[in-house]
Amino acid sequence: MRTQTLDAFQVIADPSRRQVLMMLSKHTMTINSIAENFDMSRPAISKHVKILYTAGFISIKDIGRERHCVLKQDGFNEMQNFINYFDKFWTSKLKKLETLLNNKAK
Amino acid sequence: MQKEIRQTWFFRQPPDEVWEYLTKPELIEQWLMKTDFKPIKGHKFRFTFTAKPGSKYDGVVHCEVLEIKPFSRLSYSWNGSIQDKTRNYNSTVVWTLVPMNNGTELQLQHDGFTVLDDIFAHNDGWNGCLKKMQDQINAIKK
Repeated sequence: MRTQTLDAFQVIADPSRRQVLMMLSKHTMTINSIAENFDMSRPAISKHVKILYTAGFISIKDIGRERHCVLKQDGFNEMQNFINYFDKFWTSKLKKLETLLNNKAK
Repeated sequence: MQKEIRQTWFFRQPPDEVWEYLTKPELIEQWLMKTDFKPIKGHKFRFTFTAKPGSKYDGVVHCEVLEIKPFSRLSYSWNGSIQDKTRNYNSTVVWTLVPMNNGTELQLQHDGFTVLDDIFAHNDGWNGCLKKMQDQINAIKK
């Protein structure tokens, strides 16, 4: 199955993938135990897991015959960058406003 | 993880003067962006800017006035998309003006990034969580 490359926003736009992340935020799970929580075929779950893995939201560790999914920070960093972008944006804009008002006061 | 933006600025002008810079398009343009803002609740407007080549953002922010209390509080929605249009974000900007003895304290709150909300909500104590998982994994390995 071909795995699409999606960015962090597209990855979490899907409710099933968000649900997987939330389940994983409580404890690690095998792909099989994730599948048990969904009314979805095992290949469909595998595809979601692969997308999460490719985007850096989870890592997968093989332990014996089982594949364990663990949350990973990388995927979340892109969203953090997004917030940081706006934080810097406002700082630079408000600096401009400050300059304007200071000049006006003179 | 930070999930909202809060900034506090101080200006020597009284609130009514600072207010003008938040609500008059010709003044907003001077420090923020071009806009067709009107100080009317429910008014839909846009901020437009020239996105830098290669920038992720597409140059238009779609807004609607949510709350307006002259000289003290203004809030609008702040929705946009990233250049390829596949990624949309919804958020809210709130301006609060607090009169001070010698000027105005201007508070900015930009939050409610809805695409991200439930992820962030479940992301509290992230590192502790991650540590716990690693412990679990290690325990399984043994």
